[in-house]
Amino acid sequence: MGVKVVPRHGKSLKDKLYLPAIVGGMKVTFSHFFKNIKDTSNIETLNYPEEQPKDITPRYRGVHRLTKREDDSVRCVACFMCSTACPADCIFIEAVEREDGVDEKMPKKFSIDLLECVFCGACVEACPCDAIRMDTGIFSFVGKKREDFVLDIDALLANKPMKGSDK
Amino acid sequence: MSGTLIGIVVFNIVIALVISLVFVPILVWMERRIAGFMQDRMGPNRCHIGGVRLGGIVQSFADMLKLVFKEDYRPNSVKEKMLFTLSPVIVFVSAYLSFMVMPFADDLTVDGKTYMMQALPIDFGLLWILAFTGLGVYGLMLGGWASNNKYSLLGGIRAAAQVISYEAVMGLSLISMLIVYGSINLGDMVRFQGQLIWGFIPAWGIIIQPVAAILFIITAFAETNRAPFDIAEGESEIVGGFHTEYSAMRFGLFFVGEYIAMGAASAFIVTLFLGGFQIPWLNTAFLKENIELVFIAMIIIIPVGSYFFAGWIKKNNVWLKADDVRNRETKWLVNGLIGINVILVLMLLAFLVLGLGQDGINISVALLQTVTFIVKLLMMNFFFIWVRWTLVRFRYDQLQNLAWKVLLPIAIANIFFTGIFVVVMGA
Repeated sequence: MGVKVVPRHGKSLKDKLYLPAIVGGMKVTFSHFFKNIKDTSNIETLNYPEEQPKDITPRYRGVHRLTKREDDSVRCVACFMCSTACPADCIFIEAVEREDGVDEKMPKKFSIDLLECVFCGACVEACPCDAIRMDTGIFSFVGKKREDFVLDIDALLANKPMKGSDK
Repeated sequence: MSGTLIGIVVFNIVIALVISLVFVPILVWMERRIAGFMQDRMGPNRCHIGGVRLGGIVQSFADMLKLVFKEDYRPNSVKEKMLFTLSPVIVFVSAYLSFMVMPFADDLTVDGKTYMMQALPIDFGLLWILAFTGLGVYGLMLGGWASNNKYSLLGGIRAAAQVISYEAVMGLSLISMLIVYGSINLGDMVRFQGQLIWGFIPAWGIIIQPVAAILFIITAFAETNRAPFDIAEGESEIVGGFHTEYSAMRFGLFFVGEYIAMGAASAFIVTLFLGGFQIPWLNTAFLKENIELVFIAMIIIIPVGSYFFAGWIKKNNVWLKADDVRNRETKWLVNGLIGINVILVLMLLAFLVLGLGQDGINISVALLQTVTFIVKLLMMNFFFIWVRWTLVRFRYDQLQNLAWKVLLPIAIANIFFTGIFVVVMGA
């Protein structure tokens, strides 16, 4: 049987004195302190409200948007797949017949309550015609009353994909 | 009561107040900023009054205001109401009083009379400090007990046991210093440290008695309940320790008292081991004889130092948004620095050209030594903060083992060898 003997520390005089180890630790903290006080730009802190994060990937699940067809009309066909898949029941759709012959149905109302939404992305997965996406990269959404957080169809259509996403 | 006497007494008291009370917000700010820099963070830097941030120091005053205006709340479970209120006061007052005997300049002679440069001009300073640093722990014990809370009680018990152990070591390490200095007058001790060993090494306590210095610095950390010996608070085990039940300005007094105690311990270490108010290699007599040379050196050093400091400010004191009010501060700071430099250099030139009387020379030497003492004090405070943010907290049994099994024998052996050395050398 191969027995591996793990060396134990703390038996030598140097270890028992504590002070060499303490001095070593203090050297480390002081080198950090000196580096940062010499030039505060060495600190990698993101000064958030002034500096915005630049590392949000296209796969980040931000606030939703509704995509459009080539003729700028809504791509959604009001099939209710997303609101069925939604675990938080936060998608409210009212369907209407589509008159322009492009498709059969379209949403008259399509609102998402962001206070209910858990940002799971199940609606995006469920959508059969790629009409809803969460690639806006919006990670903070601010409102003054509860009603501000219910996004209607115009707001969802107006949301733009973030830079660097494929569409 | 002459005018000079009143002037010097008022100066002494004001300086003692400044380096104890006014330094507290500065120390809190230093603690947080240095901790930030050591951990590659920013620390508080946003708070400002009309754009003036001073590196974030305004945050300390905002925190102080918040503590003062909080509701003065006391839980119903507290039965010993008077002791509950008294204990933060004890902590604060004893820490504050131990500051009053620190000599921050050599004895000042004006009009043929000599004044001690301490807020309390007594010559048994060492005993005074030992008495009041020992008294401070009563505040922690009473507070822990009067809170009527098991965690507070544990904190108080820990504080008591810890201070009893470390007080013994502290006293023994001081005895070897007493053998060397042969006085309990703090001013005499510092004057002793103005000598040179073999003509080129300053005879500071840390060089004459390195073992006693290390022992004393370790015990000073324990006495002030600071990391790595802050088990009396021990927030990972016993909530907040002795101050669990305290809030608002009652807690504020504990907090301020802790920082004053840290400042007092630093001042004590500086006085005993780091040469006190002595500028290295330049003792009082040398300064008095060569004051012109010192002035010339200051005229060169101050503007050069300020130039680099202004460059550092311009490089680092910038706010991200260019139009923010905080960006105006850099200009003000640099202009203020230039103004101070012009005034100082003109004053020094005037002294050089017109010449100072003996009294003037004595007073300027005292001022120089006060500045030296404050600089040393801040460096020692930095050391305290540096250690706190480097080392982890001792476990309770390790703490007691360290005190009784390691430090105490070393302290006694150190007294023994110091005694033999002094007897053999016949000093």
